[in-house]
Amino acid sequence: MTDRQVPSVGIVGGGPWGRALATAARRTGAEVVLHSRRDQPGGLGAQLRSSERSPQASTADPGLHVTTDYAEVAKARLVVIAVPSSVARSVLRALGDHLGGQHLVVHGVRGLGVEGLETVSDLVREETPARRLGALGGPVQAGELIEGRPSAMVIGSRFPEVITAATRAFQGPSLRVYGTNDLRGLEWASALVGCLSIGVGYAEEAGAGPGLLAALISRGVDEAARLMAAAGCEERTMLGLGGYGDLLASIALEDRPEVVLGKALARKVPLDQAITMAKLRVEAIPLIPRIVRFAEEHRVDANTFGALSEILAGGRPQAMLDRMFTG
Amino acid sequence: MQDDAPIFGFNAAREDIVRTVVSRVVLSTKDPLLALNDAAYHETKRLEASKRGPEEQKELAEWQRLARALGRMPDGERREKLASIVEHVGWDVAGNFDPRVFKVSSKLLPPIVTYLLAPRTLVRLARDPKQLVSLSALDDKVRVEGPVEELRELSRQGTAVYVPTHLSNMDSIVFGYALERAVLPPATYGAGKNLFTNPVLSFFMHNLGAYRVDRRIRHNLYKDVLKTYSCVLLERGYHSLFFPGGTRSRSGGVERRLKLGLMGTAIEAYARTLMANRERRVYFVPATINYLITLEAETLIADFLAEAGKGRFIIEDDESSRVGRVTAFMRKMFDMQGAVVIRFGKPIDPFGNMVDERCRSFDRRGREVDPASYVKDESGRVTLDPVRDAQYTRELGDEICKAYLRDTVVLETHVVAAASFERLRRASPASDLFTVLRQRDVVVVPRDELAKDVVKLRDRLVELADRGEIVVGGFLRTASGGDIVERALRAFAGYHASPVLASRPEGLAIMDTNLLFYYQNRLAAHGMAWDVIAPPGMPPARPPVFAPPAARDAAQGGLS
Repeated sequence: MTDRQVPSVGIVGGGPWGRALATAARRTGAEVVLHSRRDQPGGLGAQLRSSERSPQASTADPGLHVTTDYAEVAKARLVVIAVPSSVARSVLRALGDHLGGQHLVVHGVRGLGVEGLETVSDLVREETPARRLGALGGPVQAGELIEGRPSAMVIGSRFPEVITAATRAFQGPSLRVYGTNDLRGLEWASALVGCLSIGVGYAEEAGAGPGLLAALISRGVDEAARLMAAAGCEERTMLGLGGYGDLLASIALEDRPEVVLGKALARKVPLDQAITMAKLRVEAIPLIPRIVRFAEEHRVDANTFGALSEILAGGRPQAMLDRMFTG
Repeated sequence: MQDDAPIFGFNAAREDIVRTVVSRVVLSTKDPLLALNDAAYHETKRLEASKRGPEEQKELAEWQRLARALGRMPDGERREKLASIVEHVGWDVAGNFDPRVFKVSSKLLPPIVTYLLAPRTLVRLARDPKQLVSLSALDDKVRVEGPVEELRELSRQGTAVYVPTHLSNMDSIVFGYALERAVLPPATYGAGKNLFTNPVLSFFMHNLGAYRVDRRIRHNLYKDVLKTYSCVLLERGYHSLFFPGGTRSRSGGVERRLKLGLMGTAIEAYARTLMANRERRVYFVPATINYLITLEAETLIADFLAEAGKGRFIIEDDESSRVGRVTAFMRKMFDMQGAVVIRFGKPIDPFGNMVDERCRSFDRRGREVDPASYVKDESGRVTLDPVRDAQYTRELGDEICKAYLRDTVVLETHVVAAASFERLRRASPASDLFTVLRQRDVVVVPRDELAKDVVKLRDRLVELADRGEIVVGGFLRTASGGDIVERALRAFAGYHASPVLASRPEGLAIMDTNLLFYYQNRLAAHGMAWDVIAPPGMPPARPPVFAPPAARDAAQGGLS
């Protein structure tokens, strides 16, 4: 393989997810430019600085270049956004100064805007000149990418060349990348799975057996699919790896933030403490009541989401079961 | 008028254009057998079903003969056959553009109107073409709005694709007139062939539209020729006019879903100018054509209700083919100020970016973008990629639909229809559309109550307009409820065959529920009228959220 054929990937976000994606891309031989904010304590910049002093300095990897300059990231044609949704807009606005129509912009941000339920790719369209957009989804976790444990990821884009580029950048022996053209559907599915994972954690901790858990997941997926149809997405995207598959994985993922949060809530831990326990920002918390409102507006039955909303509001554990089985 | 617009050289270039189209289509047809079979199948089916004259009979026999022979034909002969059919279709599509005729016909609307009102004047006109009725006669009847100055400058810098909403067969004429009024160069237009055979409109159509589209022909080869033709015209800098709704809005509603086929040719055309090292940028101008009354309203809404979607694609016997109705319509138009409003929207590039008067593209944050960067591949080469371009065009379609909503101009008939229809719904709550529509001459609304409803609706529309989500014109903004109702009544009466709202001692009787439905539908996509016309798979529009009355009152200084 000549140097020219090596795909060049820019990743924005020095947190665990961005670092994991950078690792996965490096594993395929891609040359990676990673943007990390300097002032981020515990972020990759700090870690790399500390590892420079260690014998196994990762700076020995000439294929990974860490920068604080968005212009450097924009040298890659494929740019992957891996920042929390709360800062996505400001990051995109700054990054947008360096992007053009030639860029393929893919994001791996779970969540929807709480105001207008806008997707992150809607933000990309608003804040940057890029139009060839995509999103990452599916059950893959940061830990799996870093350790190279086999897993699966979904890339959604209406542009085949984006799917091709993302697949080329990330697919390897330990990571299978599936493509879908329902970008919006994948973004909605990821966000709704985030909400439902809280329910899974909650039910598990509250002692739900396999039957109840299966009922919760199936009904939740069904509601999510109908919500997505009302939002103009394809229902079946929710039934695939980016929806159902992603949610199934949360059964076994004890340390998934949403699951941790759900479990804490089942133990009657107050919400603010439960959020601290989840460590990472849980994008689903403000989203759940908004989804319930969306369901009402569009006359979609969404009892599972209604129950989740009550739990977040401090409702009793029984409330969830009642809501689920009376709807 | 800009006499240097490319269309004035059209006739000289026509042969060259058709040859380019034919060779491109022939070369890009990978499987001539499939293409010819498809064409023979669709043409045989069409001709068998149609009323056949001797000409069609001959055509049918030829297609049948071809279909039988195709299987045994050697490949070389198939290619030849393909080329000859494509050439035939190509010349059929290519129209005329005669600048002399254009000069007359662009100023044709007033004399034609005169003719319709008083046929004998045409005889005088033929003797002395200088005796044209002055265009200014229409000035206050037809309003042209929007960033006209900017568009004028822009038309010298790049190639325009005008994409207006579509309600009536009058649209192409009215829009052509609007271009003339705005001192914008004329645009080529793919006029439906049925308009050329329509006894009234053919008079306008010949020599106006640069090409003919026969929507009865359904085979792929024909579609390929049309698209390629449109692409070649844009590539050569001919400004174009498409109605992306594809067909006249049956419901009266603003288009929410577009046919993207022809629009999609713009990106290919632009990419080809880049590949030939003579970049010429293409920009889209969304526009709305708003009528106080629609010429074909009765037929269109009947068609919408009869088929509730399936739609006859071509209606050949509607009001636009009856001289009497066109005359009545024109009379009404002459009678009322601002009866037609054409509103040009802000220009955008094929990738949804804003465009300034020098044809530079800017993203939503105001950064300049090179449009060429959207059609380049990994290695920075400009490529033709139909799948990629189809997606850009899809997103462009969404942008255009948003522009339609913003640039919809609310007229009195829409508001009065929406208020009346709301009364109908309240008279039979929780009913389906057809039950509501059946209440003809059942509901009578006292005039002052209807006026009050109208004012309430108008105030919300004005609020929406102040947010830039719709346009409310001067009269409607300030008039009293009674005056608005009066003006709508005057517009309805004298054109529509049966009374829409009938005056009774106790108030206004709601008579033609279908027409009220038709006119209220103009506000449906904004959520300002009952939305039962959302395209399949799209949730109905919901009423916009307005600031709570308390906050509004406070903002107005506590007026109450």
